[in-house]
Amino acid sequence: MLRARGVSRSYGDEPVFRDLSIEVDAGEVVAVIGPSGVGKTTLLRTLALALEPDEGVVTLDGTDAWAVDETERLALRRRVGMVFQEASLFDGTVARNVEYGLRVRRSWSDRLASVLRLNGAADAVDESLEVVGLTDKVDQPAESLSGGEAQRVSFARALAYEPDALLLDEPTSDLDPRNTAVIEEAIGEARDRGIGVVVATHDMHQAERVADRVAVLLDDGISEIGPTEKIFESPTDERTRKFISGELVY
Amino acid sequence: MPFAATAQLGPALFDSAARPAFALLESTTGLAPALLDVSFRDGYVGSIIFVSLYVSLTAVALSTLVSVPAAVAIGLADFPGKGFVKSVVNTGMGFPSVVVGLVVLFAVSNQGPLGSLELIFTREAMIMSQFVLATPPITAISLAAVGGVDDGVRDAARVLGGTRVDVALVVVKEARYGIATAVLAGFGRAISEVGSVLIVGGNITSASGISKTRTLTTAIQLEARQGQYETAMVLGAVLVALVLTVNAIVVRFGDRGVAG
Repeated sequence: MLRARGVSRSYGDEPVFRDLSIEVDAGEVVAVIGPSGVGKTTLLRTLALALEPDEGVVTLDGTDAWAVDETERLALRRRVGMVFQEASLFDGTVARNVEYGLRVRRSWSDRLASVLRLNGAADAVDESLEVVGLTDKVDQPAESLSGGEAQRVSFARALAYEPDALLLDEPTSDLDPRNTAVIEEAIGEARDRGIGVVVATHDMHQAERVADRVAVLLDDGISEIGPTEKIFESPTDERTRKFISGELVY
Repeated sequence: MPFAATAQLGPALFDSAARPAFALLESTTGLAPALLDVSFRDGYVGSIIFVSLYVSLTAVALSTLVSVPAAVAIGLADFPGKGFVKSVVNTGMGFPSVVVGLVVLFAVSNQGPLGSLELIFTREAMIMSQFVLATPPITAISLAAVGGVDDGVRDAARVLGGTRVDVALVVVKEARYGIATAVLAGFGRAISEVGSVLIVGGNITSASGISKTRTLTTAIQLEARQGQYETAMVLGAVLVALVLTVNAIVVRFGDRGVAG
């Protein structure tokens, strides 16, 4: 479904990753693990079609996202959701945040009609908030939420429009164990809905808990990618083994 | 209601509104009553308040329509020379108003490029000069407000499927307090302006004493020059009250926007 083939990306003269390939299929969770600053966020933004790779292709169901015009690329981008390390909620209620993705997909006349009707949250909004256990917060201002709640709303916001692929950038790095558990359950729910999930994390235990496959991002590329159990129990790459065992210090 | 009729009605409305304002001013300021015991011809004060607000609000409204989209476009775009463009906009905040007045006067004079429109010594010419003066501060402060919006919010709007317009709308909403401040700064610059409106407007009243192009600031300047200091002080108080009222309305409007 969502694939990156031979992608390279640099900032100025500084390469972030080179000739990197990764893919996620429907109903699969792929964890990207690696030390901080190795390029996990850049990789996810590339997969989200928010960053054009310097080289290589990113395809969604076989369509090269950077070989089509902007309108087609927008249509492709709208099939991908992303949750950032920071919740980055918009000013407004929880409902207005969660329905954002749905709202921007409507025509301008539908948006105006929606405002004039002053209707409550759509079913999709309620369902998404239910996944993260926040249906009771639907009418609260986003700024009144705790950090953990805000991140859960951010997850619901990306889930509401049923993307084909969902990209999660360190979604639980600042969360307490309870909120982390809610997010991990929500990742499972997304997989059950047939969504392909890529989660970038530096928490290897989390990768073990949620992922079907794991990609280890070290230095400027993926050192190894494979089934979770194999990566953690019998990695073939020496750098991967050292990173997982904690011998490789960055 | 046709515009011409509104323009005729305007001064009368403002004049009737000004009288209770004077009484309130007298009862609340504690200033010597003699200072406020100033007589005005019927309709005079209302007409200059009307002209001041008409010219300044129109100029600021037009400027906002240009400045805010320009600030958002510049703020969200990444292009070579962006820093230079920002510097030019910031420099514009220091435009000497009399120079702007002279340039607009040249443009609308008979020999100027807009001479055929016969705008010299009209409110429209005053709007032009105030537009030129209000645009740099509104653009520069809006630009700073847009730049202050968290990158994460912009990224989120984009990756959630927003078009460029959607992202811009999110940014404007997030930056609305800064943009409101920008508009108020522009309004402050416009309504307190003397030099350019004097040059392009001419500070004209009709034979009956009703303002054609006389504003509160040019009236104050005239009264002070004639030694009518009490009158100038009262008009100054009216000007300050007007600015305070407009600020209060904008702040109140902003608060309601958040609550909604």
